[in-house]
Amino acid sequence: MKAARSARDTILRQPLTNRISHWLIALSTFALIVSGLGQMPMYQRYKIAELPGMAWAADFGVTLWLHYIAAAVLIFAVVYHLVYAVLTRRFAIMPRKGDMKESAKIIAAMLGKGEEPDSHKYLAEQRIAYAFIGVNTLVVILSGIIKVYKNLPAIQLDPALISLTTLAHNVSALLLTIGIVGHLAAFIFKVNRKLVPAMFSGRVDREYARTRHSLWYAEHDEREQPLSEELDRAA
Amino acid sequence: MSRREFFARSALGGMAGAAVLAAPSTAFAATAGPGALGTLIDLSLCDGCGACVDACRTTHADRYPRPVEDIPVNWPTGKYEDWQHMAEATDRLTPYNWTYVESVEVDGATVHVPRRCMHCDNPPCANLCPFSAQEKTAEGAVVIDPDACLGGAKCRTVCPWHIPQRQAGVGVYMDVAPGALGGGVMYKCDMCADLISEGGQPSCVSACPTGAMQFGPKDEMRAAARQRADAIGGYIYGADENGGTSTFYVSPVPFSEIDAAISERKASMPEAERISVPGMAPVTENFLDGTEGALKTIAVTPFLGVAAAAVAAISTFKKGADR
Repeated sequence: MKAARSARDTILRQPLTNRISHWLIALSTFALIVSGLGQMPMYQRYKIAELPGMAWAADFGVTLWLHYIAAAVLIFAVVYHLVYAVLTRRFAIMPRKGDMKESAKIIAAMLGKGEEPDSHKYLAEQRIAYAFIGVNTLVVILSGIIKVYKNLPAIQLDPALISLTTLAHNVSALLLTIGIVGHLAAFIFKVNRKLVPAMFSGRVDREYARTRHSLWYAEHDEREQPLSEELDRAA
Repeated sequence: MSRREFFARSALGGMAGAAVLAAPSTAFAATAGPGALGTLIDLSLCDGCGACVDACRTTHADRYPRPVEDIPVNWPTGKYEDWQHMAEATDRLTPYNWTYVESVEVDGATVHVPRRCMHCDNPPCANLCPFSAQEKTAEGAVVIDPDACLGGAKCRTVCPWHIPQRQAGVGVYMDVAPGALGGGVMYKCDMCADLISEGGQPSCVSACPTGAMQFGPKDEMRAAARQRADAIGGYIYGADENGGTSTFYVSPVPFSEIDAAISERKASMPEAERISVPGMAPVTENFLDGTEGALKTIAVTPFLGVAAAAVAAISTFKKGADR
């Protein structure tokens, strides 16, 4: 009965596949930022390596190795995410025309000015955030691959290309980090917090979806998971 | 097991077993680029006169650091590296002295060893610089850009000989957040990149009065070093070290004994200064040895991603059809 009640009160927002790719990307990116800062080099300079259990952070061999492993995981997850989206034609998160204007309205509404426009599965600002994080992730991956390639013994790339690649890698990594901070900062606003369970259980409050993502909720309700069916499964 | 062995043998290498990266094996062989040049240093001919050091100092005097008077103290370490008091020292590598002659006693005889950057085939210093402030030229010279270097000194850590030396109070970090970010500029031998790109020779080689130093096409220098080592029953250093370098030492005595004598001298120095005296131990590994395995693994992952996405998509379609 408890499960049935829960299914009635919530709806599936992020299927398992989305949650897996999100967390693989999140964790590998976190490892890449940590190890990348180690390559800067920052941990000895700022005495972080002197903290208990952090001595490894000053070892460039260890942080480079960690960077490569995490990069492999990130590339896997990004390719998986993109190919799956294309194969299943799921583009709800791709930015649309007018998203900038619409997201200004949403932010104004959150600050108590005006009404929030009806939204699809993602708010306009979420689609913009996705594009910002996505583009920087692609730049950081492509420049990173060139940076690894140049480390091969027989490879000597043009110094101008190396400089440009390094600049692209550092700038995109910085922008990506800012993007992630922004992504997390969204949860400072209480109105956004109901989305948090979507990335754990996959489900969000049904009432929240109905009011804040009305367009998605309408489609979802008629097409994907009729409530009765969902209840049958849960029971 | 050393750190680099751990690196090389890590899961990266193992996973790469079934690599799809069908690169020809020659692409990974240590070869010199076109126009690569090298130096032969014959210790049996060096009398330690120091002409090479004088010439180097004259040639590079205008590139030595000119730090501010009040050098900012680095937060939070409370330290900074300042070699101004040793600007005249010619018995070690400093930001103010990019080559020197190490004179050591081996079996009762004095051996003079001119020291400077080896200019590696695959330089970890340049490859791992987070700001690409170092480059390797077509001639094989590894050159630091003093206008891009922030003085993090990672290059010195990853160099097996710790050749680059840091001077604080100078460079681009002074314009950003001195004390809070960066630490100065790294300095080292640049193989007289300006001179050699115009067909000239490094000033140390031109100045050598005994012919102990020769400079020319790298393959020829390597071959000449082998020939000379065979002729005197001597030893070679630099041909295989760190995956190969542009500097080939020939010595009548084993380099292990030279290294032992250098270690003895270092032990008598204050600890902070030891970094200015490079050893001559065999260097069988390069910091970047794990790169091939890493790249092969990275090359495999997109295929795994596509395969996993295809499986997931099929499962999604099936679920949809069931409904």
